[in-house]
Amino acid sequence: MNSRRHLGLVAAGTTLLASAPISLIFEGYTWLFHALLMVGLVAGAALATRSLRGRTWAQLAAMLAALLLGLTWLFGDGTAALGLIPTPDTIERFGALLSLSGEEIRSSYVPVPDLDGLLFISAMGIGAVAVLVDLCAVSLRRPALAGLPMLAIYSVPVAVYVDSVSPLPFIIGAVGFLWLLVSDNVDRVRRFGRRFTGEGRGVDVWEPSPLSATGRRLATVGVVAAVLLPLAVPAMGVGFFGQFGTGEGLGQNGKGGKGATRVDLFAELSGRLRSSQVQDMVKVSTTDSRPFYLRFGVADEIGDKGFSSRQPAGQPVNDNMPMPVGLDTSNVVTLRNTARVEVTQQFAMPLIPVFGAPVSMRKLGSAWSYDPNMQIVYSQRENSAGRAYEFDYLRPDFTPDQLRTAQPLQASDPVQRQFSRVPQVQLVQDLVQRLTKDKATPYDKVRGLYDYFSSKNEFRYDQLAPSGTSGDAIVDFLEGKQGFCEQYAAALAWMVRTAGMPARVAFGFALGNRFHEGVYTLTNKNLHAWTEVYFAGFGWVPFDATPAAFVMGSVNPAWAPNVDAPDLTPGSRPSIAPGGSGGPDPSAGPTRRNVDEGEELGNGPIAATAIPTWVWWSLGGALVLLLVLAAPALRRSMLRRRRGLRTAAGSHPPLPEGATDAAAPELTVTGDLDAARRRAHLAWDELIDTMIDFRVAVDPAETPRATVERLIRTRLSGATEAARLLGIAEERARYAPAPLAADRLGGAVRSVRAALAADADRGVRLTALLMPPSVLLRWRNAVYSATAAASARSAAFGERLVRITRPLRIRRPKLLR
Amino acid sequence: MTTQRGGSELTDPMTVEEFKATTNAIVANIEQVIEGKTATVRLALAVLLAEGHLLIEDVPGVGKTKLAKALARSIDCSVRRIQFTPDLLPSDVTGVSVYNQETREFEFKPGAVFANLVVGDEINRASPKTQSALLECMEEHQVTVDGETYTMDMPFMVIATQNPIEMEGTYPLPEAQRDRFTARIAMGYPDAAAEYAMLDGYHSHDPLEDLTAVVDGATVRRLIGTVRSVHVAETVKRYAVELVTATREAPELRLGASPRSTLQLLRTAKAVAALDGRDYVVPDDLQTLAVPVLAHRVIPTADAQLARRTTDAILSELVHRLPVPHDRRSPYDTRPATPPNSFYDRRG
Repeated sequence: MNSRRHLGLVAAGTTLLASAPISLIFEGYTWLFHALLMVGLVAGAALATRSLRGRTWAQLAAMLAALLLGLTWLFGDGTAALGLIPTPDTIERFGALLSLSGEEIRSSYVPVPDLDGLLFISAMGIGAVAVLVDLCAVSLRRPALAGLPMLAIYSVPVAVYVDSVSPLPFIIGAVGFLWLLVSDNVDRVRRFGRRFTGEGRGVDVWEPSPLSATGRRLATVGVVAAVLLPLAVPAMGVGFFGQFGTGEGLGQNGKGGKGATRVDLFAELSGRLRSSQVQDMVKVSTTDSRPFYLRFGVADEIGDKGFSSRQPAGQPVNDNMPMPVGLDTSNVVTLRNTARVEVTQQFAMPLIPVFGAPVSMRKLGSAWSYDPNMQIVYSQRENSAGRAYEFDYLRPDFTPDQLRTAQPLQASDPVQRQFSRVPQVQLVQDLVQRLTKDKATPYDKVRGLYDYFSSKNEFRYDQLAPSGTSGDAIVDFLEGKQGFCEQYAAALAWMVRTAGMPARVAFGFALGNRFHEGVYTLTNKNLHAWTEVYFAGFGWVPFDATPAAFVMGSVNPAWAPNVDAPDLTPGSRPSIAPGGSGGPDPSAGPTRRNVDEGEELGNGPIAATAIPTWVWWSLGGALVLLLVLAAPALRRSMLRRRRGLRTAAGSHPPLPEGATDAAAPELTVTGDLDAARRRAHLAWDELIDTMIDFRVAVDPAETPRATVERLIRTRLSGATEAARLLGIAEERARYAPAPLAADRLGGAVRSVRAALAADADRGVRLTALLMPPSVLLRWRNAVYSATAAASARSAAFGERLVRITRPLRIRRPKLLR
Repeated sequence: MTTQRGGSELTDPMTVEEFKATTNAIVANIEQVIEGKTATVRLALAVLLAEGHLLIEDVPGVGKTKLAKALARSIDCSVRRIQFTPDLLPSDVTGVSVYNQETREFEFKPGAVFANLVVGDEINRASPKTQSALLECMEEHQVTVDGETYTMDMPFMVIATQNPIEMEGTYPLPEAQRDRFTARIAMGYPDAAAEYAMLDGYHSHDPLEDLTAVVDGATVRRLIGTVRSVHVAETVKRYAVELVTATREAPELRLGASPRSTLQLLRTAKAVAALDGRDYVVPDDLQTLAVPVLAHRVIPTADAQLARRTTDAILSELVHRLPVPHDRRSPYDTRPATPPNSFYDRRG
């Protein structure tokens, strides 16, 4: 009883330690007090029931009751009778809290404040885990099973955080689990009584037992596998290990101080994106059902250091602002929508974020102006922190077919002159030349460039890639193919300009993943950059080349579909691709693009069939797994073939029953005795392996003759002559001056194997075929002897060390009495 | 009487088939008298061919003497029978020099031991003095009387019987003498069918009377020569040594088998192999012989005796523990090459 009490307390402690990862979820520590209370109540209930010698079901019931009481007390909110006894109202309240927690999970971003629903669900979850751990560890005495509920807690922060999480709470949890395992084990050993050495010395409880060598081996293998396995899995490269050695990037300080709008938007973007903190920046609501990104800045000048922003120029905002440059509303369907934006103190810029082409601004002072060229709202005096405003805007809904009608701009066109200048870089020119070779219209050319940034072409998202948009940086990116939105946007703009079309980089927010009751909450993690290309008659058309999977709330309009999306039929994506360009429409762009690219890039059929990488990974994994599983069988068949080739020396028919006396003199050889001996040994080894495969015990104290007789007596109904022949052959090879001619041994082995297989049941037969015990046993013995040799060596080394250091040991001076 | 032992026959071995045919004839001949005891008969023959001596130990009336006599009769050679009694004198066994008044010389009158086959009945009833008279002739195949040494004929074999029950007034064989017997066998009761058949066979007369010799002394010497030429592989020799060493190291045995026993074990194994139609010895031969050849030489500890463990059981268990000889170590042999140290003892 005492040991169980102790183990129960350990289980409670373990549960608390295992709940450490929850600290990553909450901002505060209220959850911890709740957890302490719940775990304490559960453990207390379990202890009490156990001291009353309650059965397992009674313990479970008591723990659940304690859990319910605790929850009622904490979250009953006045619905409980006497503050403790749950009433139907309490249950209703719990249901409401549960559904509330669901909404909170959807709407909040970690770390979360102390929200009622989340606190409730975490307290209930930890309490439930405490019940399960106690049940597994103490009542059922299966502490290893208790790891499963704890694993549930582990998985919560891992699932919530997209990027890496601090490993510390997980280590704490793991230590707790180990504590539980060790306590249980010590308790088990104690029940046998005290341990003594051979000389009668008492052994301390914590001193490892001789059996611990196996445990150490297992633990080493487990840890090595746990560390190495994730490294082998794709897309986990950035994680715990990727954390080290990365700087925080540039400027956390987005204050609109100097030079007003001449903010280095790129530095701002990468710095804010890489910040470990998550800050709410903007809250937006809109009447638009499918809005594009919220936009606040543009970089449309190219210098030595790459793209930069110009000084904007425009009129103060008002109710009737000019249409964006170049957009001809007769060409395109434009939807007029209204949006409301609240900017937090975290976003302090001389620019305010707006959707698409704002035409009417409200509740914004006269300090703000609108540049119809850049389509940005800027101020020379104020910044955006704390602003709240409303505006109407136009969202043009282009279609690929409409855009295809756009003609190339005249060289004299001011937009063409201003926004297609770009430093000439040979590599980019070659690439652009190749990608746009036989594209007719400007739109198809842009699509050719845009589609190039796909995972098929090994482009990957890496937020930690070096920043920069200069020619060298663009070349680095195009060669390394790893970067984040900044690189993708700048590279596409650079390439479009190289192709002779106007392009620029736009900055703003992707729509994020916190859409709740019509409000998008956007954080610094949602900051984004994309490319805009100018088409005659359509104005600036956005293209987002960044892999959509890595942009939370990415939008892929019909004219710039997700290049990494699996090929779906057009009908299955009606909302996004009304033009049908998202699928393998024979007439549409993507298919042609794929084929063209396949030819151009020399990737052949792989590029054309477009199988996603994960398929290859899982196929490869399955193959490796299959190989590992098939290794014993392969090894066995290899062994058999090697022996068989040398035993049979050709194709000999199986030995017929009732063959001549095996020891007849004409069967003995006079030629190469050693070769005949070797063949007989090989045949015998094969027979022994076959016996082990079919679960016939092998005794090293048995002679070949006796082995064969036992085999015939116990297992064999046919092929007795063949078996005897093998026995005689091995016996003669070992002990006689002249061995037996080995011609028929291969056939004999085969007939014995067939006879054994015929007599065995299906399970044994399958095991012999797929997981031959002989090979497994050999491997196991090899491992055993290797580890035994290693431990013997280390023991010898230790003893030598003791011998060497003995003279150095300081003797305690004897005290005079 | 001082014939040269052996002769040219020893260097003229038979073929395997010839050997088999001859020995089968002897066995078949003996089996006319002793029914259903093929293994015992073959073992007795093997001891003869291994130039050893046989001790048959069993209760009265199971055919000990009959076996000895039948074996003797099947071979055309001299046979003497000594009935050991407490008053038997050593000179009755070895022979005595008497004064010949005609020639005025002492003349050696050979004793009962001067024969090819000596059947010593109830050997444990003779006094130790008489028993030890047998010692020299058994091991050295010679008799020394009054300083004169007389060599025995070949083949020479002593078949002694003794009764393990009714030990009153007996002198149990000393260790030294027991060691000189190559093998000790027990007859055992015949099974019911054999006993029934015996009733018919012995109805009118003793079939032993009808037994005629099937081989002569020269043939037996050739047989012995053939046995000597049987091949023994190195691994088998090693196994014999290991087996005998194991008896010395076995914790249940106070006295292990002697080096002489190793020699006799291997020699008998050769004979058994030849009887089996082989020209080489296999470990199986040693395994089957371990109990008859070694069991009467070892002495169990007091603990084993208290536990009622017979030497036969101890030895057969030993045989089952010892791995058979092989050039290569089996990949499935998990026994460590050296015994591991105890973990705690190493640390303590």
